[in-house]
Amino acid sequence: MSEETQASGRKLTIAKAMAEAIAQEMRIDPTVFVMGEDIAALGGVFGNTQGLLDEFGSVRIRDTPISETAFMGAATGAAMDGMRPVVELMFVDFMGVCFDAIYNCMAKNTYFSGGTVKVPVVLITATGGGYSDAGQHSQCLYGSFAHLPGMKVVSPSNAYDAKGLMTAAIRDDNPVIYMFHKGLQGMGWLGTEPGAIVPVPKDSYTVPIGKAAVVREGADVTIVGLAKGVHNGLRAADQLADQGVSAEVIDLRSLVPLDRDTVLESVAKTGRLIVVDEDYKSFGVSGEIIATVAEHDLGMLKARPQRVAYPDVPIPYSRPLEQFCLPNADKIVAAFDAMRA
Amino acid sequence: MDVAIPLDLWEGDSQGVVTTWLFDDGATVADGDVVAEVMIEKVQHEIAAPAGGTLHIDKQVDDVIQKGDIIGTIDGG
Repeated sequence: MSEETQASGRKLTIAKAMAEAIAQEMRIDPTVFVMGEDIAALGGVFGNTQGLLDEFGSVRIRDTPISETAFMGAATGAAMDGMRPVVELMFVDFMGVCFDAIYNCMAKNTYFSGGTVKVPVVLITATGGGYSDAGQHSQCLYGSFAHLPGMKVVSPSNAYDAKGLMTAAIRDDNPVIYMFHKGLQGMGWLGTEPGAIVPVPKDSYTVPIGKAAVVREGADVTIVGLAKGVHNGLRAADQLADQGVSAEVIDLRSLVPLDRDTVLESVAKTGRLIVVDEDYKSFGVSGEIIATVAEHDLGMLKARPQRVAYPDVPIPYSRPLEQFCLPNADKIVAAFDAMRA
Repeated sequence: MDVAIPLDLWEGDSQGVVTTWLFDDGATVADGDVVAEVMIEKVQHEIAAPAGGTLHIDKQVDDVIQKGDIIGTIDGG
């Protein structure tokens, strides 16, 4: 971090941080290019490619038709041929359209080729709801990608991590699924999360993929989350502190590779575990984190682990129904109370 | 010097909101730094500092704004 940067105090939204990281890599690496729906002239529906078309032109910043299978396949092929594509799947909900190109080709071709072919794609995709966009535009689907081998999976909770993870993802020789939560983007119509808008160095830097962060230290309970779940966890930690409970909050930042050591070290200290996950409850991130602890040492646990996750139902359009289903700070505090009971 | 919403930032008389301040109140900013974002009907607009100096924030995030409103001031330089 330069002195000029430290002095400036400049903050960025996650949207701006993603665009800045992509631009900086494009300036030093001619093989980096971006494609997707409405990512050029519009600058991305969620603002994360703003300004790129003006600087780099339409050969390197490419709007695609609404044909995800074609452009996911094109990204995979371009990457195998020496390029470093950043390709946007506008809503993660539409993975079903193009998933063969992703999990059978992008994720496996390095393995199938005995390691002779690299597939350095960065697949960026929007996750999360909370703004009444209903069941096909509000899912997280973290577990669906993390379950399948061959892809790294990251999801930032703030602009500093968003920039550093993007730089690391573009430089990585493996496919990286970069999942950004719509509610953290800094786009007003999707809600504003002040904790996601943080000071960001102007110089390029990386945040290592596969390393979690302890974002708040505590002694009594470990709250593990990612993306928006981190902010709900921090709000819950504030509420718990009012009751004299000291909560530690872990931001996973990456799901693949998963930083199990940071979780285990924390639970060894606190003896209590709450996992916050905006993806569906069953067969997902929350179960994986709890299994990690249970397999390591059941004796660490002073109470049954709790999970605050999205119930296993399609996401409702109705605002009251959706808000009822979403994880929030009150539910995390209630989970702690259940642990004490 | 005032940080004002330009009169030609959008067409018509729609109201908008401040969505983001990219510097804290009291921060030192340079001429041309993007200091804030405002939203009008789901479209984001950047607001740049008209001069260098110390930023004072007058309109908070989620405050309603109209064209010509002063959302902050910049002192000295």
